[in-house]
This record gives sequence, structure tokens and C-alpha cells, in this order.
Amino acid sequence: MTARTKSLALLLALASATVALAQDARPLAFTNARLVTVSGAVVERGTLVVRNGKIEALGDNVTVPAGARVVDASGKTLLPGLVSAFSRAGLQAQPRAEEPMPGGRRGRGSPMPMPSGGGGGGTANKAATKAVDGLYAKQAVFGDLLRAGVTSLALTPVGGGFPGLGAVLRPDGKTLETLTQDDDAFVQVTMVRDGQTKKLLKETFEKAQKIVDDRKKPPTPPAEAKPAEKPPEAKPAETKTGEPPKPEPKPEPKPEEKKDGPPPGQNPQGQPQARPQPQAQPKDPNLEVVADLLEGKRRAIVQIDSAADMLHWQQAVADGVKFPRALLVPRHDPLAGSIDVVLDQVKAMQCPVLLSPDLTTQARSRILVHPSKQLHDAGIEVGFAFGDNPQTVRAVWFRLAELVRHGLPADVALRAVTLVPAKMLGIDKQVGSLEVGKDANLLVFAGDPLAANGRLETVWLAGREVEKQP
Amino acid sequence: MRLPILLTLAAALVATTDLAAQGRGRRPRPEGAPNPTAPATPEAKPADDKKPKKHTAIVGGDVYLGTGQRLTGATVLIADDKIAEVGHNLTLPEGTTVIDAKGRTVSPGFVCVVGNGMGAGRNGPFADTVNPFDPEIKQGLASGVTSFLAGGAGSGPLPTAGGNAVIKLAWGDVKGMVLQEDSVVGMSVPLSPADRDKLVETVKKVREYLAEMDAFPAKKAADPNAKEPQVPQGAEKLVAVMRGQAVLWINSGGLGFNPFGGGRRSGPRTNDVDTIRAALDVAKLIGKGVVLQKPTSAWLVPDEIAATGSMVYLSPRDRVPADPQSPDTTGSNIASAAILAQHGVPVAVTCPVGMFGGAGVGTGGIMGQDLNTPHLDAAFAIRGGMDNRKALRTLTLDAAKMIGADRRIGSLEPGKDADVLILDGDPLHYATFVTTALVNGKVVYELAKEPLYRHLAR
Repeated sequence: MTARTKSLALLLALASATVALAQDARPLAFTNARLVTVSGAVVERGTLVVRNGKIEALGDNVTVPAGARVVDASGKTLLPGLVSAFSRAGLQAQPRAEEPMPGGRRGRGSPMPMPSGGGGGGTANKAATKAVDGLYAKQAVFGDLLRAGVTSLALTPVGGGFPGLGAVLRPDGKTLETLTQDDDAFVQVTMVRDGQTKKLLKETFEKAQKIVDDRKKPPTPPAEAKPAEKPPEAKPAETKTGEPPKPEPKPEPKPEEKKDGPPPGQNPQGQPQARPQPQAQPKDPNLEVVADLLEGKRRAIVQIDSAADMLHWQQAVADGVKFPRALLVPRHDPLAGSIDVVLDQVKAMQCPVLLSPDLTTQARSRILVHPSKQLHDAGIEVGFAFGDNPQTVRAVWFRLAELVRHGLPADVALRAVTLVPAKMLGIDKQVGSLEVGKDANLLVFAGDPLAANGRLETVWLAGREVEKQP
Repeated sequence: MRLPILLTLAAALVATTDLAAQGRGRRPRPEGAPNPTAPATPEAKPADDKKPKKHTAIVGGDVYLGTGQRLTGATVLIADDKIAEVGHNLTLPEGTTVIDAKGRTVSPGFVCVVGNGMGAGRNGPFADTVNPFDPEIKQGLASGVTSFLAGGAGSGPLPTAGGNAVIKLAWGDVKGMVLQEDSVVGMSVPLSPADRDKLVETVKKVREYLAEMDAFPAKKAADPNAKEPQVPQGAEKLVAVMRGQAVLWINSGGLGFNPFGGGRRSGPRTNDVDTIRAALDVAKLIGKGVVLQKPTSAWLVPDEIAATGSMVYLSPRDRVPADPQSPDTTGSNIASAAILAQHGVPVAVTCPVGMFGGAGVGTGGIMGQDLNTPHLDAAFAIRGGMDNRKALRTLTLDAAKMIGADRRIGSLEPGKDADVLILDGDPLHYATFVTTALVNGKVVYELAKEPLYRHLAR
């Protein structure tokens, strides 16, 4: 109802508006389209109305507003834009010097070591480092990704342990400002199977838990002045998206601080940061970030590359350490166990899992398998990490088709590249499905997206058609 | 109840005579390992334990104990991850999972003194890097391997840190995979006169330190402020060896390999009698037996080796022709293992040196096939004249001794880790397959369920 009254008001406002706005303000309607909403039922033949970059209405019983630009989508399928929750696009020049040398002393014959993502263990907690600070914005890759259908993508920090804060990008434009949608979207946590990283994870979570405990103590000393300027630095960015901290994924034991939506953004400043200690130690912003995570004010993407790594993660991180998270398995590693080998442990993580959509092999055989169906059957929400190579992204539909052939339901497969990754990035209120009020990020397909006759015809970002490559 | 006891006693008697016949009589049993065939307390179940134990019994197989004995139609009872009892007509506790092994043989899991891959980590401490889902683990288990030394021994003029660990093929169990780290310490001979002097000096210091440590408790009682003696600098590894906490491996052949030498690791003059004597000299110096690594010509001086209490690992398949210049002190012999064993030297086998080095059991050798046939090296020891039953020790108890793990693995004796194989034939026969493997009391490999050999009809 509110949407309707709002749109009415908007209409009135527009009627009296000047022509300058007309270009953007003119509503857009796709008619006779097959609407794959992803969040709800498929509308076999319906209309989708876009205004001001948002979806205003959709369904089989929607009237086209007067003055709307009508796109006849007969025989076409509309899907929400792809969301890539694992991408390094734009980080090319990221220094990878801190990788430890792979030690040769273990002799020959062991499988290739390097975990894809981790790039080696880090010895330091760098949780407060923002990945966007290393972003090279002027790159053609963003345009290529957009044309391939990616309308939202993550910027995943590189490194083991706590490599930094990941961002959410909108592949629109070539400046940092236009690209960055949220520079503080998630904390990246990367498990690497080595002693250093395990120690770092263990100790950091323990230290952060201490900070959390300190914060819970009543702020007794009024005398203590505000500490250094340092700590806020890590936080203020949260304001961009409306509701960065989503308590849903993992209800924390002490939710009272964050019952209402808005505070967390301001919370850091408003919070009684002054601790009772007489000498105000400068806080470690990296630890503060992890403490926020443990308090449920942030979300994390935890990268664990294999079943073996999962067991080591469990050794390093105590069962009691809970925080809002998603599990990322960007690559299959049959030589260290596909993730479904440790299904119980994955279940115990109580979070969605992002997998590579590629089929993999069972151990050293040529038997093709994929863990997604088993995870889905076990009640785990499955998403796919299709990466940041435009070529690979264009092939994602083919990958999904293979997985559907291997038993994954088609609607699950489509949700796994849209709504699920959006949830992992905390942007599912804005994107990820065709729903009223969400951004009009649309993919228009001729035919069935998963079938051979399916072809991505046009991509729409916030209600604007993306130009084809000149 | 009386009859079974009588039977076990008889079996024990037979076993003891066996032992003597094999020239084993004068070697002491491993400490802490009670006589397996005479379960003195058949009903002594630890009833007071907090957690009820999970029992598994392997019933009716011909059980090779790994000590050189064999019990026909016996039962191996496992409580959690340890062997509880081995014998005839055991009373199985309620709820015991029974694995039928009638018509099959049961053997301790094979222990490889040199191995690689199979889930052993490569960076950082082994405990933090092992890969419990490495497919090579299944391949190793299919070949009967349940433990191996990863990382190898170090080398140098003084005993050095090995950076090695005894890895168990405990599929899916990170903790269970590392039995112990750095139980092997390595060095090389021959030593230069200066290096030997240094070694003599260090050994002297270590002896003084150990004597001080022995006297320390009394001293501390008299004077509470007494300072604990310090480990001589750089001698930590030697201290471990001389205390019996680590085994010293001596390389008497140099580490370089010669890819153009027909696959021989080094020339005919290395590993000759002189270098072996240099290694035995070290053993005498420290007063402990050492492990000689592939001493080609050891068969020429078995008595000297036995006198120092040293051990030998080798591959009966390694062939090194004698040097025509000194035919009496060089060259290999297929009968090496047999000759050494006859003189009371514990022998373990490993795979031969390949064209590209790598004498370890693993997939590192050519085509990775060394991993498939560790038992064949023991079979070749038999071909060289080794006692049939004793040959199994080259892959079990004697191998475990060499990696300092014989208190935990290497034989089916009460109290030891339940690493057990069920095989469809003699463990060392070329056509035998492992049908079931247990590590730490858990079934980790079943022939029928794994794809490795499923295609072979039988």
C-alpha cells in the first residue's frame, strides 16, 4: 500500500516537474515477460514496472502506468542481476609479497599446496584495512562484468587470516565513488592450513572476546576522557547501506544493543568506549573490528578451501565463537577433501555456503561430482562464487545447467547466483531478486537462461539499459 | 574357561620357542608391552572408566602379531583406539562391533621408515598442516601402510633437527594423524677429524649434563635454590638421543644422488664397510644404537653392527655392484636383510632408490608406484633368505623401533594403538590385498567400498 501511495505522490510530483528529470523519471514497463523473481513464484506472463531505478510493481495483473516507456518482452525471461560475492576485480596490483615461501622440506609427492584465495597465511590481523583502498577503479573489467550480467559484486581482500574489510561494488562508472557502494560490507576471514594462521585466528578471537567482555562492563568511570581518535576510523563507513548489521544470520546471545535498526552506524561513537583502565591504551582498530563482529555488528565471509581446512579451522576456532557469517569455498580441492565430506561440520557453521559452480572430481578419479546438492539436501543455503572473469561469468549459466542436471533444483540454482550472494554481502534488501522496492537490476534473456537457446540480450542497472560494447 | 587358558598358555609356549628359534631370544621385549599371548587378566576390563569404551573385535582370523608370532583363528579386541587383548576365546564385552575375519589374515598396520605425501603437511608444524582427506591416504591404506616417517632425518656433522613426524593414516582425523614429531634425528658420516673432535667434545658435555640432571633432584632437596643445569648449547638433539627420546639416523652414503649413475644414489665407495664403521664409531661414542640408512655393504660386517645395538633399514631390491678396486668391502647383496637379521640386527625395509632419488614410500617415485608395493620389499628380503615370519617385522615392529614409535605401533599387543589390517592372504604375498584397515581403532579403508581396486574381480 505504501508503495502505491508513494508512487502516487511521486506521480503528482513528476507531473509538475520540469523536463530535466523526465529522462530518468519516466517509468519503464516490461510487458508480457516471464518473470523469474527468484524470491517467489515465477510469473509466466507478466509486467514489471520500473520507476526511479527501482522496481515499482510486478505481476500478471499490473497495469502499465501512463506515459511509461514500454518494452515488449514477449518470449523473454527477466531475472535479477547476478551478484558476485567473491571477486578480486580491480585489485590487480595488490602486493602479494607477504606470502611465506612454500617450504620445500616436506619432500616430494605432496599435492600442490597453495590455497587459491589465501595466498599464504598472514601473521598480522589486518581486519580494519579496507579493500577499496587498494582498488584500481579505472578498469575495463567492471564494464565487461556488467555486460555479462553482474550488477553487484564484492571486493574480496586478499590474504590469510584477517586480510581486511571487503566492499560491495556497483560496476557502474570508473571512479572510486561511483563504483563503491559500501566500503565496509564484511570482514574477510581466510583459513589457511598452516601454524601461523591457526595461531592468529585463535588468538585474535580470544583477544576480541576480551574486548567484547570489557565493553559489556558498565561504563563506571566518568572521569575518563575519550580515547584517541583512532578507533572511529574503522567504522563510520557503515552508514552507506541502510542496515549493515543484520542480526538474522546468527542471533547473538546479547541482542539488546542492537534491537533497533539505525544505531549500529552511530554506535561506535556513542558507545562508552572509555575503559576503566587508568592509562588509556591506544586501541587496536583491527581487534575492534573483530570485536564488533563477535558482537554481531558486522558480518564475515569465512573462506575455507577444503574439508581438511575445515577440521583445522575447528581446531583453531572454538565452537563457542559465533558471529554472523557466510562460508566461502571458492575452489574445489579434491586432494584435501571436497567440503561435503565434512557435512556435519558445515552444518554446525549455521550459515549459507558459497561454492564454486564448477563440477569437480571425486578424489583422483574422473568421476564428476559437485557438493551443492548434498549441502542443499542437508538444509544448507547454497550460493555460487563465479568469480570476476567476464568470460567465466558468461559461462555461469552453463555451469548452472550442469548442476541442475546433477540434481540441484533449477530455482535453487538461480537463487544461488542472485539472492543468496546478496544475503552474504548484506545487500539483499536492495538487490538479489525481483521484488517491489528493490533496485531494477535486470537481465533480459531470450529463451530459458539455463538452456542452450538462452541468450542474455540486455542488462539493466537501476532501470537503465547498459550499453552494448561499442 | 579352563580350556581356553590352557590353550593360550600352550600358544604362548609355542610362541616363545618360535622366538628363540628365530634368534630373537636375546633381544628384550619393548618396554611396557606385556606378553600378548598370555592375557594374565582376561576379565580385567576397566570398569571404572567414566566414558564407556567402544569395543571392536576382529574375530577368527590368522593373527600375525608383528613380533614374529602367529595365532590361528584368534580374536583381536579393540577398546576405543587401543588394542585391549589378543588371543583365543576372548569374552567380548556387550555391544562389541564384530568384524568377521574368518579365512583372512590379520596383521599390524605396516610402518614405513621413509615416506612422503599421504597427507603429511608441508609448511609449518605437522600438526597444523596435515591433510586428513588426501586421497593418497586411501592409496597408502590399500597398500597396508598405516604409519610412516614424513620429513626424513636431517644430515650434517652433528645430530640435527629432523623436522620430521610419525604420521598415521587416520583418515578424517587431524589430531590422530600426528603420532609424534621429531623422534628421529639425523647426521652424516664420514666425519672430518675436526668434526669428530667436536662431536667427542659435545658428547662429553652432554654426558656431564645428564649426570648433573641425574643428581639434580637430590641437590634440589638439599638446597631449594639450586639452579637446574642447562642443556649444552646446540646439543639439544644429542641430548634427546642419549636420553633415548629420539633415534639417531646416520647417513653413510652422502645425500647427493647421481641421475646419470643408473639410478644409483652415489658411487660404489659410499656405504662401504669403512663408512659403516665410521657410523658405528658414532654409536659407540654416544653409547646408543643408531639407525644405518641403506648401508649397502652392511652385510659384510653384521657382527660389528649387532655389537653396537644398531639397526638397519634398506631395500633388498637395491643393487650396487662391488667396486673392483676393493671387492671385499663394497657392494650389495640380496641376502643383506637375512644376514643382518640372523646376527640379531633389526632390519626394516623401504623401497629402492629410484632414477630420481626418492627412496621413500609414497607417490614421489616414478609413476608413484612405490606406494603400491611396500610389502614386496619385505618379500624380497625373504627371497634373500630371511625367515618368513621375521620378514613381517621389517614392515612392522622393527620399522616402528627405528622411528622411535615402537611403544605405540608395530605390533598387535595390548595397550598399543589399534592399527590393524585384515588381508585376503599372507601379508607379504604379492597377490594379497588389504580388505579392511583400521587406524586408531576406526575402520578407515574397506576394499569393497573404495574405488581403487574395485574393478579387480576375485
